[in-house]
Amino acid sequence: MIPALLSAQDLRRRLGRGEDRFEVTVEHLALSRGDRIAMVGPSGCGKSTLLALLSLALRPDTAAAFHLADIDVRDLWQRRRLDALGAIRARAVGFVPQTGGLLPFLTLRANIALPLDLLHRPDPARVAHLARLLDITRALDRRPADVSVGQRQRAAVARAVVHRPTMLLADEPTASVHPAQAESTIRLLVEAAAEAGAALLIATHDPALAAAGSLTIVPVRTVQRGAGSVFAWPC
Amino acid sequence: MLTLLRVAMADLRHDWRLGLCTVVALAAVLAPLLLLAGLRAGVIGGLRELLLQDPAVRQVMSAANREITPATLARLAQRPDVGFLVPRTRTLAASLLLQAEDGQQLRVELIPSAPNDPLLTDGAPAAPEALVLSAGAAARLGATAGTTLSGRLARLTQDGGREVVVLKLRVQSVAPPRAFAREGAFVTLALAGYVEDYQDGRVGPPPQGSADFPRAERASYAGFRLYARRLEQVPALDAALRAQGFDVVSRAGEVAGLLALDANLGLLLWLVAGLGGIGYLVSLAAGLWAGVERRRPSLAVLRFLGMRGRTLALLPMVQALTLGAIGACLALAMAALTAGTLNRAFAGTLGIDRPLCQITWAVCLAGIAITLAGAAVAALAAGLRIGRVEPWESMR
Repeated sequence: MIPALLSAQDLRRRLGRGEDRFEVTVEHLALSRGDRIAMVGPSGCGKSTLLALLSLALRPDTAAAFHLADIDVRDLWQRRRLDALGAIRARAVGFVPQTGGLLPFLTLRANIALPLDLLHRPDPARVAHLARLLDITRALDRRPADVSVGQRQRAAVARAVVHRPTMLLADEPTASVHPAQAESTIRLLVEAAAEAGAALLIATHDPALAAAGSLTIVPVRTVQRGAGSVFAWPC
Repeated sequence: MLTLLRVAMADLRHDWRLGLCTVVALAAVLAPLLLLAGLRAGVIGGLRELLLQDPAVRQVMSAANREITPATLARLAQRPDVGFLVPRTRTLAASLLLQAEDGQQLRVELIPSAPNDPLLTDGAPAAPEALVLSAGAAARLGATAGTTLSGRLARLTQDGGREVVVLKLRVQSVAPPRAFAREGAFVTLALAGYVEDYQDGRVGPPPQGSADFPRAERASYAGFRLYARRLEQVPALDAALRAQGFDVVSRAGEVAGLLALDANLGLLLWLVAGLGGIGYLVSLAAGLWAGVERRRPSLAVLRFLGMRGRTLALLPMVQALTLGAIGACLALAMAALTAGTLNRAFAGTLGIDRPLCQITWAVCLAGIAITLAGAAVAALAAGLRIGRVEPWESMR
């Protein structure tokens, strides 16, 4: 059995107030290297919040256990070691936001190289290699506003995997690309994750896309509980 | 840190129009202030130089003859604001008829002097028989340094006769024209004292062939001539001496006027600088703060990618300092150009042989330093705001 890369137990995070109160609950979750999972559910059901929790970007309210490899993430959050969490995130997590999340003032090349620069491991050859793989070589020296949406999204994928993270997360990565490019974007993510040897967890509302990428589909939904709603993993 | 610098510069380049507005706004505030400081330095400095060229401006002289003891004069000379003091003999008893070898005669005022006399750039009389003639007296007598003159001193005897003493004197040098405008001779206190004592009948003629003048026990002098150490001390010294009962003559009013002008220009400069500077810094701080809000998604991405909060908080600081430095340089260039135009336009019209507007290195450095310090302070608020940007905001 492959040891879990990421494991969480009784992870909870409440958001909003009153009728808008919303809670994300993870009873038990384990991700291993090589996992390719699509979390499929309607928009606004809590998928993004879960990704934020798993990427160590959002503090859980409570957690019985939360480990990334042998790092006790719960302990780091409790001690508010934000810089340590940031350093782990920089090394181990790759993330593709819905809109690409590229810095508008940097070229695609500088955007892709940014995680390596922040880790003090500049590797222009790796950037060039990924650009070839994702077919954006000719756009590398342009800024995000000067390239197509598809090129932007591919650059975001490249930035998410350039530092060979152990966990690749993507939040509706096809939401802003042309439907014709959606399948290829998912396949790119799968290839990039495989190339980096990372676990892949994609949030999407489209099960067909998940199927196109041969991802393990985990359906998610929210349930009304009291005044608010609860997103729970597993359902 | 290097990545932060690269990111900060790339962001500035990308938003260059906004940066340009900030730089121009800064230069528009700073350039007039530099000009004002330059005008203050030029005008006040010029007037100060004019006054300093004339040591008589620092002079405070007793106006009326009175009896001042040597102890009182020594106490005055000890004051920290007094740079030089020499006693004076009575005005009426302080004159001497000089005669050149060609027979030319001239009655001159005797001005007691001493080493380090501010009026005498070539040195005070070094021996009792030495004279430093005023320019007018030297011209009338046709005397130059080294010329031998006879000093004729006369007094009435008790039996109604007239006694004349002829002193062999030597011209040591000729004083600069501004040292004494009338016909006079700077002499040692020994010679001036002897002339007064002889005319008062307290001493007799000097021994034949001796350069030493007989001295009487002296209980007092008629007055003094003193100089303040610094120009700024003249008004206070004048007032202090008057408060002690001395009737003095000085140019304290003129100096006080200059000092007041200097202080008022300084106040004006600080008021304009304060108002303009505060207004600009508030607008810069607001701009940087708004910049943080506008760039929040990008900043959140940087936090997500692992940039430390404290490092990221330096981003507006780096940008503000860069814009501040460029703005200050632009302001310096604008001020230097304007100062050059002003100096050419006013050249030779104010009677001051120096530029009207002098933007000194000290003013430049102070302008840059204050601008950068202000920019850093303005960036602090934005930096604190950045500290609150959460990494998960990049995932929205």
